[in-house]
Amino acid sequence: MIKQSEENSLKNFLILPSVLVLLCFLFVFFYGVYLSFTDLKLGKPTVNFAGLKNYIYLWKNPLFWKSTKLTVYFTLVAVIVQAFIGILLAKLFSTKVFFAKIFRPIILLPLVLPPMSVALMWTTMMNPERGVLNYFLSLIGIEPFMWISEYSTAMLSVIFIDVWTYTPFFTLIIYAGLLGVNQEMKEAAQEAGAGAWITFWKIELPFMMPYVLIAAVFRVIESFNQFDIFIGTTGGGPAKATTVYSIYAYIQSFQNLNFGRGTAILFVNWWLVLIGALITIKLYQMARKRVS
Amino acid sequence: MKKIKIFFSALLFSMISTFALADFDWKKYAGEKIVFAYDIHPYVDALVEKLPEFEALTGIKVDAQIFPDDVYWNKLNLEITTDSGAWDVAGTGVQPTWDTSVGNHNVDLSKFLNDPSMTNPDYDYNDIYPSLRSAMTWDVKGEEVVGNGKGVWGLPHSFENMNLMYRNDILGKHNIKPPKTLPELTATCKKLKQVEPGITPMALRGVNFWSSVHTAPASIAKSYGVVDYVMKDGKIADTGLDSKASIKFHKDYVAMVKECAAKSWPNDNWYQVVDALTSGNAAMAVDANMFGFWNNIKDPDGKNPSGKISFAPPPTAPGAKNFESNIWIWCITMPSASKKQGPAWYFMQWATSKKMVLDGAMMGKMVNPIRKSTWDSADWKKYANQPEFNNYYDTFMEVQDRAELFFTPRYGFGEAMNAWSVAMQEMVNGRPVEETLKELAGSIRAGI
Repeated sequence: MIKQSEENSLKNFLILPSVLVLLCFLFVFFYGVYLSFTDLKLGKPTVNFAGLKNYIYLWKNPLFWKSTKLTVYFTLVAVIVQAFIGILLAKLFSTKVFFAKIFRPIILLPLVLPPMSVALMWTTMMNPERGVLNYFLSLIGIEPFMWISEYSTAMLSVIFIDVWTYTPFFTLIIYAGLLGVNQEMKEAAQEAGAGAWITFWKIELPFMMPYVLIAAVFRVIESFNQFDIFIGTTGGGPAKATTVYSIYAYIQSFQNLNFGRGTAILFVNWWLVLIGALITIKLYQMARKRVS
Repeated sequence: MKKIKIFFSALLFSMISTFALADFDWKKYAGEKIVFAYDIHPYVDALVEKLPEFEALTGIKVDAQIFPDDVYWNKLNLEITTDSGAWDVAGTGVQPTWDTSVGNHNVDLSKFLNDPSMTNPDYDYNDIYPSLRSAMTWDVKGEEVVGNGKGVWGLPHSFENMNLMYRNDILGKHNIKPPKTLPELTATCKKLKQVEPGITPMALRGVNFWSSVHTAPASIAKSYGVVDYVMKDGKIADTGLDSKASIKFHKDYVAMVKECAAKSWPNDNWYQVVDALTSGNAAMAVDANMFGFWNNIKDPDGKNPSGKISFAPPPTAPGAKNFESNIWIWCITMPSASKKQGPAWYFMQWATSKKMVLDGAMMGKMVNPIRKSTWDSADWKKYANQPEFNNYYDTFMEVQDRAELFFTPRYGFGEAMNAWSVAMQEMVNGRPVEETLKELAGSIRAGI
């Protein structure tokens, strides 16, 4: 009995560092939450508890609601498109086509580039007058496109950049999942007369879905927090067309020096991330249950 | 007899000056070390190059920490407002210093300027252009900034005034005269598009940050009679951004942007303006005049379009009596948290001394120089009047009389002016001018 108690004490002692590290993380988070209830402005000598003032300001501010829509829209469209293209590319890479062998390592290139470099590179390429993209379009007789420089096309252009950057992440994970699909089951289906499409739809895709969704969990979290690509391309413009939460919070905190308001936006964003991630995890669990 | 009097007066003056100089103890803080932070910029390059002279003169070691532009401003805000004490001298601008002075995060330098034991008698603060000194002078009352006060919150280090700069090779080729009014500017762009379809008529900042409005818009708007704030009894009472004058200005300005600017205008910052002028992709710009100066410097690699950029005052409102030019001042400030304020002040007065300002200008780096004596010196006149600089010197002398800070001192300057830059994007995007300005003014009024 004594031995058992000593063993428990030792265990508790050994996990103490982990608990301390966790507490440090939690402290930073809750300190941020606390700041969102203050009127902290950089430079001002006094900081007062402001209750729900920052949240009420956001509630009444049309830009906050616009920003909410833009953040959700960006995340949904970017992740769904990445997942779709990721599935196609993973399927291509699982074949023995010559190009698949060549492109398998190359496709990872965007993932290893710093996001800010990606943003600057695309900003140059998307210049409506001197960018290489419009030059290519002109070769096939298409009129210059405004890309990130016009209100109506800016968000789609940023999604395009995000898709280019992060689709390889989906591809990599889904491809790993595809390698694990039971070959005997596929062969049995084909012997039973199932065509390639039916085999993909009924066997491969259900097996792939848990992998697609686990990649989606990561991408949903990152997309809600996406900052580098926005700040490096549009900075939230033109005319608020791409002012997602991360940019809105940055402008409030660092340009307008209103840290209380900036942290309130980030706390709302945290809830969005949490809800988005929980929904995706639920879908993942359903997909796994179906496969097993 | 008169000649003898003049001779003895001059001798006496010279002796007094010599004694005064000899009296000033430059070695008072020998052995100390200070940290000086600045943005990557030619202005700081000049200082860094001359640091060994300062270190030999004073025995003070300087650790110059130079940061990229994108990183520097956020770091500056955090370092100063959190009173970290890591920096002893920081390069910044007037507007950011309004925000940091309210919490006593900056030292009011008047205590040093008025102390003969701390300031070299040869320093001659009043030699710095009055518009620069007055821009750096305000009082802090409670949590508010009140202009025209006695507190000195930084020393001007170099500055930019806004000019119309144009490629004389492009305009000259088509015999086009530099425009004098905003509608003339729009018409000139229209003509340029016809005769030079391969280039953008004008390089113009458009990003959603206040740096876009402090160049062309602030300068031209002032000639329309636009003010950012309306003052009453020395206090900010209202904004003037939805006034009739402002509506007229914005209608003309939006028309100009649509006709003149690159399609990438909403994403264009000063880098694009410089690049477009350098490469000849744009024919004109209303921006900081030293961009034109630096591009005109003879370059052995042939990268700069040496001698191809000429200068003119900024365009005005139609029928306006005078042009107006806004200024951006690079200044050096002292964080209150600095534990080495004495040595830091020695460095600041050296960095803005007559000798350093002239040396920095003659290096072609600290341009525009802040001191009147520099502009009057034969050396600088000779240098700045070299053929490759075209009419830089004369235009500066013409513009400087009317160059001053457009903005009203205020804590929270950035929030209102950033909103102005976003409103500008909305108007160019097609939103009605009056409706946009009304909303902008409403949001600014809520913050007054």
